[in-house]
Amino acid sequence: MLRTRKFVEQYDLLGCIQCGRCTGGCPLSLSSPLNIRRIIYEFLVRDKLDIKQMPEIWDCTTCSTCTLRCPKGLDPAMILVGMRRVLTEGGRIKPTVRDALESTFKFGNPWGRGKNKRSDWAQGLNVKNLAEGGFPPKACPEQGRRVGGDRGGAQAEILYFVGCTPSYDDRVQAVARAMVKVFEKAEVDFGILGNEEICCGSEMRRLGEEGLFEFLVEDSLEIFKQHGVKRMVTTSPHCYNTFKNEYEGLDFEVQHYTQFLADLIERGKLVFSEEVNKVVTYHDPCYLGKQNQIYDEPRAILQSIPGLKFVEFDRSRERSLCCEGGGGRMWVEASSGGERLAETRVKDALALGAEVIATACPFCMLTLEDAVKTTGAEGSIEVLDIVELVAQAIST
Amino acid sequence: MDIVVCVKHVPDTTEAEIAIRDDGRGIKKEGLVFDINEADNYAIEEALLLKEEFDGAITVLTVGPPEADETLRMCLAKGADQAVRLTDERFEGSDGYATARILAEAIKDMDYDLVLTGVQADDDGSAQVGVTLAEVLGIPHAALVVSTETEEDEDRMTVHRELEGGLHEVLEIELPALLTIQTGINEPRYASIFGIRKAMKKQIEVLNLDDLELAEEAVGEAGSRTSLVKLFIPVVTAQATILEGSPEEVSGELVTIFKNEGVI
Repeated sequence: MLRTRKFVEQYDLLGCIQCGRCTGGCPLSLSSPLNIRRIIYEFLVRDKLDIKQMPEIWDCTTCSTCTLRCPKGLDPAMILVGMRRVLTEGGRIKPTVRDALESTFKFGNPWGRGKNKRSDWAQGLNVKNLAEGGFPPKACPEQGRRVGGDRGGAQAEILYFVGCTPSYDDRVQAVARAMVKVFEKAEVDFGILGNEEICCGSEMRRLGEEGLFEFLVEDSLEIFKQHGVKRMVTTSPHCYNTFKNEYEGLDFEVQHYTQFLADLIERGKLVFSEEVNKVVTYHDPCYLGKQNQIYDEPRAILQSIPGLKFVEFDRSRERSLCCEGGGGRMWVEASSGGERLAETRVKDALALGAEVIATACPFCMLTLEDAVKTTGAEGSIEVLDIVELVAQAIST
Repeated sequence: MDIVVCVKHVPDTTEAEIAIRDDGRGIKKEGLVFDINEADNYAIEEALLLKEEFDGAITVLTVGPPEADETLRMCLAKGADQAVRLTDERFEGSDGYATARILAEAIKDMDYDLVLTGVQADDDGSAQVGVTLAEVLGIPHAALVVSTETEEDEDRMTVHRELEGGLHEVLEIELPALLTIQTGINEPRYASIFGIRKAMKKQIEVLNLDDLELAEEAVGEAGSRTSLVKLFIPVVTAQATILEGSPEEVSGELVTIFKNEGVI
């Protein structure tokens, strides 16, 4: 039983005017019992809430459409995360979530994969390793941090922060390799942290494991300092968002790769020599678009690729239909059946006449690719990351 | 119902590169991630579920190095009430029998209704400590337990033991008793980082050989009945046959191979 008073104070819920713009914009409102307006109402009128009886709070993808639309400046998505914190800190979570959290604590990634395999994707690519020769520190709960370890050390202007999913997932590793190809072509001075890189913690925070998030922040800040990181470019909008907006004490520039590449193209540092003759639409990832207002750079890149015909979704930019990959949803099945949002998106793309759905987020890539298969559209449409299209347009 | 749970702090071998120590009688621990032994995690969860139903206190013990505190704290965070670490250089080299004797010394004077251990350890896989511990304590035991049911007066339990081919043996066992718990009996809860930090307030009692009524000859290699002679990584050979053809052809070939190899 959760006492509501503290929540109401903490999240300023008395400001809510019950207008319903939040639920009205929630992409899950048609398929899930999740009703954030109603939840806030319950917090306001009841003394106690049995949140264990509300499995729908795990359906939220934290796309933050609700937060964007709230006329009173409230953050409904974070209220749901606050509810998840109570459950997670009490240990009452689904086994899939438990496994992802435990894996992140032990191995620095939620995928149950070994630390020593994190940079296997780069085998044969000769990428500069900023942590070369080092070995990782060990977790020490007594001190509340990892201790020991030895950081090695090459130097580079830019840290390419790969991320857990591009590092370990078979499909998304191709995105990381395409990034390396493009960076090399543009003669970017970059390096990776190799097996020293650990999870940014964005999804852990959104799953309610604030303690683990803090742990990861401390560790990563330490690692970045040790290797003199001055600038970072990320594959994932989730990593980008959390490093840029949620890591207190991080004092260098963080960019999502679309910002970085768009700038390179504008300054003439990246030149295309091949044509990509495809009809391409772009799916705005929630964490890049809605949450950080990065809409133009991805489009600028796509529209500068020779031969590429760009078509726009009706639901584009801040109205982009969430793929259901964020907010911990990679580890939580929806509480109700019915068509997944990614499937709707694929159908919309086919109706547009697109041959490619371009995106710039590993989670979007995986959920959309799955949806291409489950809607039987394999062979009619493919999902590619923007950097993969860029890599196709440059000669090796 | 007061419960004692014995746990072990073992390496997690997920995609780990295991290297044999130079003396050939152990593995190198550097770079390995340690965690609670998988079956022990299920044992602790079973204890917690019983505590939720019947109240009582849970004491968790381990024979291990100071680093094993990590595992003990996680158990405390999940809801165990007391933790005891048995640490001594002289315990080095103890086999299942010697380890059981060490644990028994620490447990024998405690007030308990039930002792739980995991079926076997992820590192040595001996499956000896639980069963030996029951014998040394002089209490009945059931091993490979996949489900438990407690009688109302809490003096007996009905347990299912896992046999081959999905068969279960159902036993009634009088308490106090020891059960070795098999993985999959329940769904272990999560211990959050904040939860573990809060558990830092709970004391871990540390005992060494001098705190126990046990002679030096009863522990370590001297007290063991088995001794590890050599540890090695088996040589990897290539011995795969790729069958080609239609599914019907290949499955026909497979059946022939299985028959010839005595598999079916």
